[in-house]
Amino acid sequence: MAHLVIERLTKVYERGKVRALTDVSFEVERGEFLVLIGLSGSGKSTLLRCVNRLVEPTSGRVILDGTDVTRLSPRALRRTRRKIGMVFQQFNLVKRSSVLSNVLTGRLGYVSTWRALLGRFPKEDLERARRALSRVGLLEKMYARADELSGGQQQRVGIARALMQEPELLLADEPVSALDPATSHSIMQYLEQMNRDDGVTVLASLHFLSLARRYGTRIIALKDGQVVFDGPPGAIDNAKFKEIYGEDAEEVEVR
Amino acid sequence: MRGEALPVLGRLKRGLTLGVVVPAADMAVLALLWFVGSLFFGFLLYGREVYFFGPWWLALLGIVEGALLWGAWGLSPGMALARIALQGPLRGRAGYWILSHLGPVGALLALFDPEGRLPAERWSGVQAVEGGRRGRPWYRTSTGWAAVVGLVLSLGAAVGTLQIDLNALFTRAPATVKYWQQVFRPNTSLLVLGIQLLIETFFMALMATLFAAPVAAALSFLAARNLTRGWIGRPVYLLVRLAGSVTRSVDAVLWAIIFGVWVGMGSFAGSLALWIHSVVDLLKLYADQLESIDPGPVEAVTATGASRLEVIRYAVIPQIVNPYLSFTLYRWDINVRMATVVGLVGGGGIGFRLGGALTDFNFSTASMYMILVIVLVWAIDYLSARLRAKLA
Amino acid sequence: MRERLLLSRRRFLSFFLDWISWVYLLYAGFSVHYIRTSPTLIWRPEEKFVLPELGLTDWILVLLVTVELTLLVRSFGVSLGQRAFGVILARADGSPRVGFFPRFGHFLASQLVLLTVGLPVLVRPDRPWHERAAGVALLPRPRGAPRVRPWWTSAYALTGAALAGVTVALGWVVTDIQVGALIRDVDKPARLWRGLSRPDLSYFFVPHPLEVDSIFGALVKSLFMALLATLAGAAIAFPFSFLGARNITATGPVGRVGYALTRGFFNVFRSIESIFWASIFAIWVGFGAFAGTIALFLHTIAALGKLYSEQVEHIDPGPVEAATAAGGNRLQVIKQAVIPQVLPPFLAFTLYRWDINLRMATVVGFVGGGGIGLLLKNFKDGGEWTQVGAVIVTFAVTVWLLDFVSGWVRERIV
Repeated sequence: MAHLVIERLTKVYERGKVRALTDVSFEVERGEFLVLIGLSGSGKSTLLRCVNRLVEPTSGRVILDGTDVTRLSPRALRRTRRKIGMVFQQFNLVKRSSVLSNVLTGRLGYVSTWRALLGRFPKEDLERARRALSRVGLLEKMYARADELSGGQQQRVGIARALMQEPELLLADEPVSALDPATSHSIMQYLEQMNRDDGVTVLASLHFLSLARRYGTRIIALKDGQVVFDGPPGAIDNAKFKEIYGEDAEEVEVR
Repeated sequence: MRGEALPVLGRLKRGLTLGVVVPAADMAVLALLWFVGSLFFGFLLYGREVYFFGPWWLALLGIVEGALLWGAWGLSPGMALARIALQGPLRGRAGYWILSHLGPVGALLALFDPEGRLPAERWSGVQAVEGGRRGRPWYRTSTGWAAVVGLVLSLGAAVGTLQIDLNALFTRAPATVKYWQQVFRPNTSLLVLGIQLLIETFFMALMATLFAAPVAAALSFLAARNLTRGWIGRPVYLLVRLAGSVTRSVDAVLWAIIFGVWVGMGSFAGSLALWIHSVVDLLKLYADQLESIDPGPVEAVTATGASRLEVIRYAVIPQIVNPYLSFTLYRWDINVRMATVVGLVGGGGIGFRLGGALTDFNFSTASMYMILVIVLVWAIDYLSARLRAKLA
Repeated sequence: MRERLLLSRRRFLSFFLDWISWVYLLYAGFSVHYIRTSPTLIWRPEEKFVLPELGLTDWILVLLVTVELTLLVRSFGVSLGQRAFGVILARADGSPRVGFFPRFGHFLASQLVLLTVGLPVLVRPDRPWHERAAGVALLPRPRGAPRVRPWWTSAYALTGAALAGVTVALGWVVTDIQVGALIRDVDKPARLWRGLSRPDLSYFFVPHPLEVDSIFGALVKSLFMALLATLAGAAIAFPFSFLGARNITATGPVGRVGYALTRGFFNVFRSIESIFWASIFAIWVGFGAFAGTIALFLHTIAALGKLYSEQVEHIDPGPVEAATAAGGNRLQVIKQAVIPQVLPPFLAFTLYRWDINLRMATVVGFVGGGGIGLLLKNFKDGGEWTQVGAVIVTFAVTVWLLDFVSGWVRERIV
């Protein structure tokens, strides 16, 4: 059975004013690296946020491992969310807190509330945080404040935070659009590594087609909230590209 | 601009702004002009206070018609503040003026127009547009002229009402010489007593700040728009904000009078007055800060499966601790300044003694106390600024 | 050399902080006890010193006890001063793990420092021999190390908590906080609340038989006092604010002197309360609203002057550069590049000041300035609570309205 099933998903914002998603349906197999592409405002972010219900879908279903995420009670939703890691465009770290405390927030779905409120995480979580940080090569920055780090380093902290959840599914919302090309590749390689070594299903939205071709095993293109392409990276030719990005677009290469 | 349909709420808002708020504001402006004009000419003609000239119906007619005419033919102050201007042929203005007499009824009728237009707009060919008229120098607008006239009349009225007599500054100066001598010879034998009173004043401010901060911090979560959602949250939000606004408009000095009667004159009354004023003032500062936090971390922590409390603990609180401390220090600084005045009214601390010395015209005592107060205020000002710079 | 000096400074300051906090703890703690247990001494000093007086022997005792306590904590734990100035007791080789005996040795050796009035420290401030003898050294704390123990088991945190606790306790007794007083003896407050909840507005337009002004008349006076003081104050503060801005004046010695004088004037006059001026001018020009207006006016000049100057200092230097490059002289630059930038915030400050002046007008009325403050004082002294209620409610509503309107206008013009 497919890992994630999206069924006729529709999202309408602001009392009927903006239609962000219209009847989007697709299935994702376990272990896929699925890349969403499309112009800004094509609904990529909304789609990702509907999967863990940071945004409530207007209609349609999201089925993860056979359970319908859209019907979960708040409590069950939190238990499901902890299996879904998420990485953000603007990193979304708490800037005044230390790197360690940012990474530890990845365990909040697992520890009891009173432990969390007192900030007394179990020993093994601290150990896990060390491992996650050394995996992204930031062990020596453990006690630094998050805003002392460069953009690429901050995104690596974001990835470490997601690693702490030991996720089965990783949502990455434009993880590299705030970064320069060289850093972009290093971040994408961390995602690739999670996908390949840990078997995490990755659902990433990307701005550049070249990155999508290089890292994705499958590409879905959105335009005005509808799926206009679904297939392997190689299948996007020039005509398809113009259809997704508009007539005036030129493809640029990110090296 | 034409042809853009509005939802019902938008129509209501547009209708109310154009049909009720703008004319009401213009009427208020005209009434104010009438009032200061009456005072001004009252002093000019009769040499006494006249709050309201003329038979009331004439004044009322002048104010109402004047406001509507102003709105129809020119850019009235109400329109300028609402950033709206009329566009259309001059012929249509007469119709607009006549139909604008509908007032609130017109605002209701705007509900039935898909574009939210008032009847006055629909039938006169004049259209109110957003943005107003920009770029004209203020002295070429009727609002600018009204402001100048109002200001001149107010100044004249003020000079009359307050019985400003600049001559007295010169003719009566010799009488104050012996008091100035006292001012420059502070009574140093009061130093030790003064320092103790100063300690009391200092603690009034400190205790008020210390006990106000946690109360305000707890309440601030109920007064932040972004944290109070749903059918319980929103009414609570409105209630807390309204209570805060009402309480804040009663000044600390008035609270000092109230508590001076309630618990007896003394530093406790003063502390209470400072406390209650600090609570509502900090509440506003804190809540505004909460409303402007970065929503990104909140989203990220929610996505890990954290509960609401955990989200607040890990995504909200780290963002607000330093600003909160900074505001508290700032408030402490203000409280130290206000403690003198509050002490004067409510009893307690150096303010009470200072007030006593001032009403007895004992200026050597008063200047001694005044020097001590200045030293304390400067010290706390410096300290608070240094600490706040560290927090930033 | 520089580093040795810095370390000596940190060592001295940390010791001083520790010692002074012990002195404070003891003295303040004793004062709390003293004030609480002296039935004859109320904290409302007439001409008499009511904080506990200590004799010479007492002070020597306090000195000995506090120094010993300080040495003890500094030898066996991380003291407040050590934490605040970033030093820790370490082994001579720099390792932070110090055993019990070296610590105890340090404590004993420190006694010699005490006996010789600090001689070893004076000779070698950065590495006194008593530390060498004990085999320890006070070294800068390595940065970034994780906190291994919870804070409430460390000496510095406990000391800090004790300081805070004693301060609150002292504040509690000094300000005479009696929560019970809020509910005890409800007779008087009940009358007050009756007055406040049912304000008597019959003298709103007609003056009270014993008063000159009606409530409305007094309110109008206060409003005009605030208005006139604000406008006149702003008119004076405006030109001087450029003199008091560093970026405008710091171009030559004359400008610098002007800057220092202006800022000094602003700072001094800002700290002198309006009530002081009100009283002086009550003598000078007679009791009443005029005296109050001058008092508010003098304070406004200084307060607005400071705000204005700071605003001028924070302008964007780009346009100034451009205007200067275009060959403008000083006044032209100010007119073309500075004033357009500062006018909206100036207006906002001025409106804000009007609001403050209106509130201050009540206080000024208490000591000789007229207006609503005078009325309030007279009603209050006469115990006419329904009238007090009427004044308070009227004033609060006015302030609320003005706050609302000025907030709205401020939002539009800034």
